[in-house]
Formats: sequence, C-alpha cells, structure tokens
Amino acid sequence: MANLLEIRGLAKQFRLHILNGKVINALHSIDFDIAEGEILGLTGQSGSGKSTLMKCLYRTYLPTAGQIVYQSNSGPIDLAAADEHALIALRRTEITYCSQFLHVIPRVPALDVVAEPLIRRGATREQALAAARDAFTRLSLPAELWDAYPATFSGGEQQRINIARAVVARPRFLLLDEPTASLDAATKDAVIDMVLALRDKGGAIALISHDAHTMNRLASRRLHLVEGRVQEVIHA
Amino acid sequence: MTSSDWLLRVRGLTKIYGQPDADSLANTGPAAATNICPNTGAIVACADISFDLYPGEVLGVVGESGSGKSTLVQLLYFDQEATAGSAHFTALDDGATDLFSLSSQRRRYVRNHLLGMVYQNPRDGLNFNFSAGGNIAEKLIMAGHMHVGNIRQRAGSLLSQTEVPVARMDQTPRNFSGGMQQRVQISKAIANQPPLLFLDEVTSGLDVSVQARVLDLIRQIQSELGISMIVVSHDLGVIRMLTDRTLVLKHGRIVESGLTDQILQDPQHAYTQLLVSSLL
Repeated sequence: MANLLEIRGLAKQFRLHILNGKVINALHSIDFDIAEGEILGLTGQSGSGKSTLMKCLYRTYLPTAGQIVYQSNSGPIDLAAADEHALIALRRTEITYCSQFLHVIPRVPALDVVAEPLIRRGATREQALAAARDAFTRLSLPAELWDAYPATFSGGEQQRINIARAVVARPRFLLLDEPTASLDAATKDAVIDMVLALRDKGGAIALISHDAHTMNRLASRRLHLVEGRVQEVIHA
Repeated sequence: MTSSDWLLRVRGLTKIYGQPDADSLANTGPAAATNICPNTGAIVACADISFDLYPGEVLGVVGESGSGKSTLVQLLYFDQEATAGSAHFTALDDGATDLFSLSSQRRRYVRNHLLGMVYQNPRDGLNFNFSAGGNIAEKLIMAGHMHVGNIRQRAGSLLSQTEVPVARMDQTPRNFSGGMQQRVQISKAIANQPPLLFLDEVTSGLDVSVQARVLDLIRQIQSELGISMIVVSHDLGVIRMLTDRTLVLKHGRIVESGLTDQILQDPQHAYTQLLVSSLL
C-alpha cells in the first residue's frame, strides 16, 4: 500500500535553559516510512528515543530538523513544520495519540470519554455511545464502571478506556505507546484484536511495546533504536 | 481583507501607559527584563501582539503578574484604549473593519452583541445593586431583547444551566458565594450567545472543588455552543484543561506560542521552561 508517512532526517535536540543551556541530543537523523494498513513497531531500551520519536510525530515535541510528510485527506503536509491550526484539525479528525497513561478531563464518565472523539467527528451522541458500549464489552470492562469517572479506576481499567477512546474514532494514523502494559493475557488479546481491526480498515499505526507477545502479534516491521539512531529494521 | 479561516485576527497590538519616546519599545521587553521605559518611565503593558483565533478554538494566554495578559483581553473588549495595532473579527462586517477604528457607539454594539467577558473579580462584571436576574436582563436588554417575560425566562434558564438556584434569581449576587458569583457572571457573559468569550483568571481565588465546577461549566459551554475563547490564566493546570493553543507572555511580549501540549512538554523559551518546571 501507499506510504502514509515519510520521515526524513528527523532530529530532536532539547536545550535546557534552566540547566545553563545543557543540550540533550535525543534523536539523530531518523529516516523511515509507514504505509497505510501497516503496524510499525519501535523497539529499543528505555531512553533509546522511542517515545521522543512518537511525540515528534504528534508534534508534542517540536522536531529540531527533518521532515515528517503525512498524506492527509486534504493532501500532503509536513507535520514537523505545519501551522498549529492545521495540526489541531488533523488531531481532531485523523491522527490520535494513545499514551500509556490516561490523560482525560476529570469528572467525565467513562462512556463519554470514549464517545467524545466520535461526536467531534460528526457522529450523533447515540451512535457514539453505542460504539463506546460495544468497545467496553469487547474489552470486558465491568458494566458498573461505564458511568463512573475514570480518574479513580485501576491501571488496567484506565488502559482499556484509553485504547477504546483511541480506536473507536478510527484514526488514519494512530500512535500507540505501551497499549497492553498493565493487562492480563485475555484482555491483552482483546486489545490486540481491536488494533488489528483498525489496521485492516487501512489505518497506519506506530507502536511502542515492551511486551513480546503484543509486539509479535501486531508489528509486521520493527525499527530498533539505539541512542537515538535506527540501528536496524527487522521484518517479521 | 476578507473572511477566511480565522474568527479574530490581531496584529501588532500595543498598549503603553505614560509618555513613550522613540526607544521605549526597544528598551523594554524580555531582553531588557523590564516593561518600564528607562528614559521616560512609560509602561509598555503589551507590545506587538499578533495572533489568529479560529472558530471554536480555545486559546490560552499565560504569564506572570504584570506580563500584560489581562491587558490583552481588556483591549479587545474595549475596557482600555489600544495604543497601536489592529483587530479584525469576522462576526463584524465579515472581518473587513478594524475594531479599533470603530466609533464608541459601534464599539458598544460589538461589546453587547458579539462579545462576552468574565473577569477575575465578579465585582467587575456584575452590578451588585441589581439582582442576579437583573444583571443578566441588563446584558439581554443591551443586546436588543425587549420582551420582559422572555428576558425573565431566558435569565432563569441561563442560571439553571450554570447551576445557580433559580430561587435566588431575585437576590443580589453580593450575598452569593464566590463560586456562585462567578457562575452568575458566566451566565451574563454568554446571555447574548457571543461567538467570542474572554475569560480573565476566572478561577483564581476559588476553592479547588469550586474551581473544578467552574471549569466544567466552561468546558460544557464550549463544547455545546462551540464558542471561541481566550483564556487568560497564570495556572498551567487551567490552561492544560481548557486550551488547544497557548501564547506565553513576558514583559508584554509573546515569547513563545504553540500547541498547548507542546508548550507544556517541550517548552522552547527559557522563561517557559522556568514556568513549566515551577509546576507543583
């Protein structure tokens, strides 16, 4: 399939003014592509730059150099340099970041947390809530939690809400950071099946996971990072 | 200039108190580490502020006390007279007219019909000699509503929407709690259904639980009505919860702007790094 993303010469440097301008070189000239319908795994030790790379793709981190050319529904756009309003629009409709921790607005019930991105994309409230209920059933989230506030949920429960929120909106490009870290084996497979279903609909996914089972079932290709450089590309 | 993607386009907005000389702008700002002109003593409250606000966007403005962030929204709400700069607003003449070139009569029209403001201190936004309902009625009458029955009904529904007991509609907000005063102020500000709302430190000085309810209310209004907002706050938690994009002000200048998550996680400017690292 066609490339959804082409990343060339991506570099990230942090300059810490409060530590007398100390410079940290986190990524050095990274090149890779992600195709539509592909799950690309990012592997490497803690501190090798996996999450930094992911955050650069989402523009939570401002890339220092390089290009991230994304084929949006309205044409190619360089995410490294794009106007902030264009990024806000893409994040609303096409690109989703799913971190390993749930960062949601407090005091919103779990069902609404998951339904919200669908409503933003034009679904009716009923449709969005139905999709959220369906996702919770598939992830076996106890029904008594559906109307409660996720802030007080366990790690595994929060994680499932996080995944459901990211996947039901069917993003064209999904960034997944440790989606199965605090889940039991059965729930892990339910999450993996949901992600595979998204891929089968043509979604592209970048995945970080330290769990071998998750990585093996999901990623067809892996970039192995060492100290901010791509050391090798592994084809499964 | 014709209407395009933006709702509000601000260029070169500047406010100086006192008598500046030719070098006042050059001698102030983050590099000079002051906003007081060393030659004349003129105070440069904000200078050369430019940004676009999109429909439905929530823009945060952060900075320490005296950085010019409140001045910025007060200039746009005509509470103060701008020294220089322009502001175009697509809700007026399709964005063709500079707001600062308007007559005082037209300014009143824009303020009453097209804008809303919530101040830090409820005393600035409410008249404590009127009842809560009367305050909302005042805004509705100025926005051209004339039918007394309709006004009363609308005031009642606004108050219940913001969880102010309708039974207290005829009492003066002077006797309300701080959180309730703030909710009356929000009811008044959105009474005319403005496309643009300014919020100036609206949760400062409230208890955390009350703060949370006011923030929930603002988020709810934003998602239901799609109002564009400029949220001024020194509290990065408020900025993180409400905004898509953020401007960081210091000594009256924008030192950094970006997506809110980028400002909070990858701040570029030394001042923003200090601000973020000061988060509790």
